[in-house]
Amino acid sequence: MKSYYNRPLLKGPHWGPNVVTYLFLGGIMGGLGLISLLSDDRPEPEMKKLRKTTRYAAFALAAINPPILISHLGRPERFLNMLRIVKFKSPMSLGVWGLVLYSGAAGANALRELAEDGVVPKTLRFLAPSATVPIQALLGAFMAGYTGVLISATAIPLWAAGKRHIPAFSVCSGAASASALATLLSTLQGNERVIPLLERLEMAASALEIATIADFRKRGGVAAAPLFEGRIGRRLRNFTIFGGIVVPFALNAIGGAVKLPKSIDAVRSIAASTLTLVGGYVLRESLIEAGKLSVSDPQLAFRQPS
Amino acid sequence: MATGFFTDATLCIGCKACEVACKQWNELPSDGYEFTGNSYDNTSQLSGTTWRHVDFVERESIDEEGLTTSWSMLSDVCKHCANAGCLEACPTGAIVRNEYGSVFVQPDICNGCGYCVVSCPFGVIDLIEAVGHGDDAAKYGLATLHDDRLNQRKTAVQATGGVAGKCTLCFDRQRVGMVPACAKACPTESIQFGEIAELRERAKRRVETLQERGIEAQLYGADDIGGGIGTLNAFFLLTDSPEAYNLPVEPVLPSTRQAMGYAAAAVAAVTLATIAWAIFRGDGGSA
Repeated sequence: MKSYYNRPLLKGPHWGPNVVTYLFLGGIMGGLGLISLLSDDRPEPEMKKLRKTTRYAAFALAAINPPILISHLGRPERFLNMLRIVKFKSPMSLGVWGLVLYSGAAGANALRELAEDGVVPKTLRFLAPSATVPIQALLGAFMAGYTGVLISATAIPLWAAGKRHIPAFSVCSGAASASALATLLSTLQGNERVIPLLERLEMAASALEIATIADFRKRGGVAAAPLFEGRIGRRLRNFTIFGGIVVPFALNAIGGAVKLPKSIDAVRSIAASTLTLVGGYVLRESLIEAGKLSVSDPQLAFRQPS
Repeated sequence: MATGFFTDATLCIGCKACEVACKQWNELPSDGYEFTGNSYDNTSQLSGTTWRHVDFVERESIDEEGLTTSWSMLSDVCKHCANAGCLEACPTGAIVRNEYGSVFVQPDICNGCGYCVVSCPFGVIDLIEAVGHGDDAAKYGLATLHDDRLNQRKTAVQATGGVAGKCTLCFDRQRVGMVPACAKACPTESIQFGEIAELRERAKRRVETLQERGIEAQLYGADDIGGGIGTLNAFFLLTDSPEAYNLPVEPVLPSTRQAMGYAAAAVAAVTLATIAWAIFRGDGGSA
């Protein structure tokens, strides 16, 4: 096989832990938008508590994620240059606008809760129309999915080979991680009655996620190998597939089937949700690191996937 | 008027005058001194601070007269694609198409997000390392400069650090009616600069002449290269397959995958939302 001294043809991503964290938290923000919508307008005090929790958490993430994104730039002081243009052909451009609009909607929804709790004057409620709840959920779906489109619409062989799978499992992972975070916070608040619902949502999202990842491994061919082999493959298997999906799924299934004593059940749900969150982070980390590895073989870049 | 380069491998003598002229005119820092052992090529690749790179392709064959080595050299450069992956990916609009049809990075707009780097199907554009305020003189090959000049150069390098860099097709020289530095310096006219349509004509005549002489020659990027990229404003004449020069045989414009990606994400989101709705609302609110 011909090559030029087997030198890489493509340049790998310069992205590190801050971009990984951004992708991970972006997925959680997306899933929280959905849970916030599902618990909207419900009279039960448990649902009301869950609603408030997801809205405050989404707002907190909307506050910390932009600085994380900005910190990865070569010229952070020029971040605002991204807001001088809207470009439909650039997922990075659409994503920044998605983040800005999501943060606006999440801010409005948090403001409404703060007004209800009497933290801010009730008169400020006019700033937060109720339409911002479904808007946050829609923008949330975009937030969880666009990062997958962003990386698969590149020349990197691994990412390009996953043009269908990566966006799909990014959405699933975001929903599972958001459910896990909501479970964790609800357990700590003693709001046990919503936990079975959240855990069932997490199980559904994780099941879809693991099926999509398995299908990517089967169909991705040689280009997908860097994600599933070697050190990165082992890490993905241990922390995401096994530790982040299989074990929490089993723990959640046990929680749904058996009535455990309250304190043991709390430990069980804290363990399951923590493992899911770690798995979600390691999934994004493995994708970025395997993307760097994937450019080392020029043969994968000579004929690029459509 | 669209202008570009026609780079002819059959005329290149591997002198690297193009690399040097480019570095000098564009005030690009040195990339250090690395001995690769890959023929006479110690430049290795195009980068944020290397905008011309001479490939040294060595081919060995054995016949009755023994072992013979034939050479093919080619000066690689940014292709200035008709549909450019970097330009489409750029979220700040820093990468634009200028009045000469070239793809140009505005260094004062770019914020160094690095998305163009992974979006180039030819592996051309890269980020320029941000230079710290310590003593990086030796690393950037500036150690022999006089103090005043050294500080001036370090300031210039720091000003461009942290952003993406690639060939500008000497935008500044073209503006004042000058030929790009590499084409000007090329002693054999292996690098020809001019109006695209005229260059293409010249290239096609050149391939015919070579083929009449029994030399296997092909053009790369003079016609639509496929994958949604279209023609290349900097195209090449090769005497070996593209892989031998580290050029992709079938490059693809990355943005062509977006529609499928958004569709897959939407399917996953709708599926999950439906399941979630059934879990939270389907039980009549038993929570």
